[in-house]
Amino acid sequence: MKSVYIAGAGMTRFGRSEWPLMQLASVASLAALKHANLGGVPVDGVVVANMGAARINRQTALGSALVDQLALYPAAAESVENGPASGASAVKVGFQAIASGMADVVLVTGVERMRVVNGMEGTDFVASLSHPIAEYIYGVTLPSLAGLFARLFMEKHGVERKHLAMVAIKNHANAAKNPYAHIQQTITMEGILTLPEAVVNNPPIAEPLHMFDCCPVSDGAASLVLVSQEVAAKLKGPKVRLAGMGQATDTHTVHERKDPTDLKSVRIAAEQAFRRAGLKPEDVDVAELHDAFTILEIAESEASGFFPRGEGHKALERGDTQLGGRLPINPSGGLKAKGHPVGATGVAQLVELTWQLRGECGERQVKDAKIAYACNFGGFGNNVVASVLQREA
Amino acid sequence: MSMKVTGMKCSSCGTVSYPTHAVCPSCRNETFETVVIEGEGKVLTYTDVYALAVEYETRYLRLAIVELDDGVRVTGHLLADKPKLGMRVKTTIGTVREMAEGAIQGLQFVAV
Ligand SMILES: [Zn+2]
Repeated sequence: MKSVYIAGAGMTRFGRSEWPLMQLASVASLAALKHANLGGVPVDGVVVANMGAARINRQTALGSALVDQLALYPAAAESVENGPASGASAVKVGFQAIASGMADVVLVTGVERMRVVNGMEGTDFVASLSHPIAEYIYGVTLPSLAGLFARLFMEKHGVERKHLAMVAIKNHANAAKNPYAHIQQTITMEGILTLPEAVVNNPPIAEPLHMFDCCPVSDGAASLVLVSQEVAAKLKGPKVRLAGMGQATDTHTVHERKDPTDLKSVRIAAEQAFRRAGLKPEDVDVAELHDAFTILEIAESEASGFFPRGEGHKALERGDTQLGGRLPINPSGGLKAKGHPVGATGVAQLVELTWQLRGECGERQVKDAKIAYACNFGGFGNNVVASVLQREA
Repeated sequence: MSMKVTGMKCSSCGTVSYPTHAVCPSCRNETFETVVIEGEGKVLTYTDVYALAVEYETRYLRLAIVELDDGVRVTGHLLADKPKLGMRVKTTIGTVREMAEGAIQGLQFVAV
């Protein structure tokens, strides 16, 4: 396999946008292309990640549409729909194109415009990834799967609501330092958990999860320019290598997993990514995890190999995962506060990590970060893509 | 109440799966008999969901994963006022969702 580098990264601010779908995608793409500063090197391929446009924006074949917007003809183009893991899956398609020698420059853009529909329809469109007969017909939504998972996980490992709140407080504080984040409001333990008015401020969504345990619904786009080693050698910017990727699946229903609290797909995807990168979890300086729900940041931090099982919340308590801690997690604010435009998320995680490894993150910069890890969690853990990035001198 | 929820029993290794698959997840055999999924068991986990994707008459929906005594696990509606992890329940069939094509019947769990 040939080496693959990330030459440029860009995104729109996440949040509510008036921009049409393809404008979001174009703005992020142009930012990434400008960041890569390719000179005259042509783009060979375009991959667009998206989950809901066919249903909620009535648009399909987004890869072709983006080539047209950016006048990149005759570049190859495709669209990837892989649930909430669409973003990193699209990056994987670009990675494979370059690693195989079929392409030298691939633009990967994730985009979602979800806020055009009401909350109920938005929830229902994401819920359509659940099992149609054994889950969906019961009114199962992603928050409900997270609630079922959280109750079991918390009981098993002694995780309390205050730990979930710590994830939210940390990620909101990080997002307040990120101009691209959807939510730029810091929160306190008192305001969301301990004061009497917390009951009103932080209503239940899927017990034991409350509003501040859940990511917002966002519009947005994120984009990466992947290049071959030959092209990377000609470019001026810092060299960030997409050192390893891994992907694993699990049962469609959550109830069929022998131990539903064991995120086996995360474990396998992470092991693959680290093995292919020739690195270990303890080498990582900064990570972006898929905290669509606070409990997932804790569970993924264990399954990815950073902390022993049942000890993720203890690391959180020690402050290990804060900015300035031993392993900062979600310096961008995570899905929790940066926002979660579903198809864009997996790309946006790698945008943040690319910026981190290039030292371009300002107030939320993790000092001297050289190795980074991302977990893009699709379905409710039935399809996970993990990535390891490495800064080269 | 004529509707039944069914799963499959592998004709080779005897594993019961719910929902069905085209291939037995235990032994990869491709022939099965249909089995009714019902009986008693215990609540493995539950949640009260307020973020609903469709209109229900209640403000929230109480969902649970139940492990039946034969080891098969199911997701459905928990009709218990004071839910607890590990509580004993039995399956019943009722309306679990109203959709454009009509009322959908599915698994509900009541305390025993
Ligand atoms: Zn079998």
